[in-house]
Amino acid sequence: MSQLPLAFSLEAFTDFAFWSSVLVLAGIYALVALGLQLNVGFTGIVNFGQAGFMAVGGYSMAILVLKAGFSFWLALPTAILITMAFGVLVGLPSLRLRADYFAIATLATAEVVRLFAQNARGLTEGNKGLYCDFSGGGSVCYDDAWRSVSDSIIGFLDNFWSDPDALAPLLLAVWATVLIATVGLGYVQRTPWGRVLRAVREDEDAARALGKNTLLYKLQSLAISAALGALAGFFLALFLATVTPRDYEPLVTFFAYGVLILGGLASYRGVAIGAILLWALLEGTRFVELPISEEKTAALRFFIVGLALILLMAFRPQGMFGKREEMVLGD
Amino acid sequence: MATESLNGKALLDVDGVVKRFGGIRAVDGASFEVGEGSITALIGPNGAGKTTLFNVMTGFYRGNRGSVRLAGEEVLHLPAFAIARRGMVRTFQITKALAAMPVIDNMMLAAPDQPGERFRNLVFRAGAVRRREREVREQALELLEVFNLADRADHYAGTLSGGQRKLLELARALMARPRLLLLDEPMAGINPTLGRRLLDHMQRLRREEAMTFLFIEHDMEVVMNHSDRVIVMAEGRVIADGEPHQVRRDPAVIDAYLGGSV
Repeated sequence: MSQLPLAFSLEAFTDFAFWSSVLVLAGIYALVALGLQLNVGFTGIVNFGQAGFMAVGGYSMAILVLKAGFSFWLALPTAILITMAFGVLVGLPSLRLRADYFAIATLATAEVVRLFAQNARGLTEGNKGLYCDFSGGGSVCYDDAWRSVSDSIIGFLDNFWSDPDALAPLLLAVWATVLIATVGLGYVQRTPWGRVLRAVREDEDAARALGKNTLLYKLQSLAISAALGALAGFFLALFLATVTPRDYEPLVTFFAYGVLILGGLASYRGVAIGAILLWALLEGTRFVELPISEEKTAALRFFIVGLALILLMAFRPQGMFGKREEMVLGD
Repeated sequence: MATESLNGKALLDVDGVVKRFGGIRAVDGASFEVGEGSITALIGPNGAGKTTLFNVMTGFYRGNRGSVRLAGEEVLHLPAFAIARRGMVRTFQITKALAAMPVIDNMMLAAPDQPGERFRNLVFRAGAVRRREREVREQALELLEVFNLADRADHYAGTLSGGQRKLLELARALMARPRLLLLDEPMAGINPTLGRRLLDHMQRLRREEAMTFLFIEHDMEVVMNHSDRVIVMAEGRVIADGEPHQVRRDPAVIDAYLGGSV
């Protein structure tokens, strides 16, 4: 079988454990990209710092539980508020900059967060990362509370489905969050609030001339996207069972942009589809068997994803769900 | 300059406004008043500082010196959005239609007092948001009717012709229900029939709602026939201010237009 020039192993279609982790990742990236969609697609602010917001969310949650003795369920909203406040703090000086400088400022901020996490060992354990605390004799892990919920969901699923996948509860939780966020964002986008955001995207001066405090709207957009980043950070922390600096490299943000481009700009629905497609392409290509060494195959996977993006740009530049008119008219 | 007293009460009082760009004084101590309910034209040769003055008055540029009072209240150091909310709304020389938004959304955006513009009201005052939204849509459609744009309501603003965009921008500014509307070359680029309509509408708003207009214009026929008062600027200063027939004969004005003042 592996001698054939190009074959697709059957595993690809039967391995639920594999696909469930791909779908969890896709869901996490959908959340990250929903924030980007709000910023880039609907407010016209080019945020390159989503990985930083994920890191602030994930680390805040882990530190609150492990070092400050918060319960997991209280740590979640607190970490969201911390991340939103961080977003506002970053936005206050940088949102006055021109779009490209704002992009650089957010990218740099995200890197500062990551490097801080790498070096503030007392708080973050550096590259070792955070997961459990054994100092009190026993062990406290930040996901203890989640795991007990997860176990009861598995117990419940067992009634319908023999031997449910261990990731099924996380998969459900991630995609339920994606669904709620997509519907919620779609709703607020159709309100007068969302209309002001779009006006800011189209022409900030025109919006100001009509009495809109555009900085306030850009800050709100950034804070909401920071909150979505924090949610993605929580799910990534639960999925990987660790919070380490290398999980929040700028590449995370760039992949989320890939999701945005695939799904289409100015469409919330497209984000979920784009996320699934990107991760199916990235991970599904693992099953392609080629008569070359494994390292070469690994490199080829990114080649395939790149090719898919190029083809999309050539034949459907607005992405799968984007509106072509808005792209052309929006200068 | 504003020695001659105005018939009505002054709605706008511009006094000694200076705007420098490096060594250039684009506006160099401009002073004038605009009476409530009047239609005032602001004219002057290219580079006289008319648009710069508009930008200072509406908060888009920060003035270096002077004062701009709207109904007695100093607005010179307020941000642009706050000045617009106080009732001084402007349009732009180069139209700023929100191209990738439908015409109707362009219009509805401008309406004042929209509870739905505050995020928390979307959750806690959903009923009020919906009611106001219905009102705003109705007003927007009525106004689009006046400007012959009703059949384009659901099209993207970017698909409109240049003249239609100009009308849309004026209609949008009117949606904001301003007390004082500053128009930067409203007639430029629109055909005479539409221009006529626009002027009629200005007259009607002034008559029925006591709205005040200050407009920059190069078409002298429009200026002379449709304004109560003409302010002439040259080299950053106001060089004449009076009724159209007075200004027309003012030697300083003729000089400025013929480039005589050296």
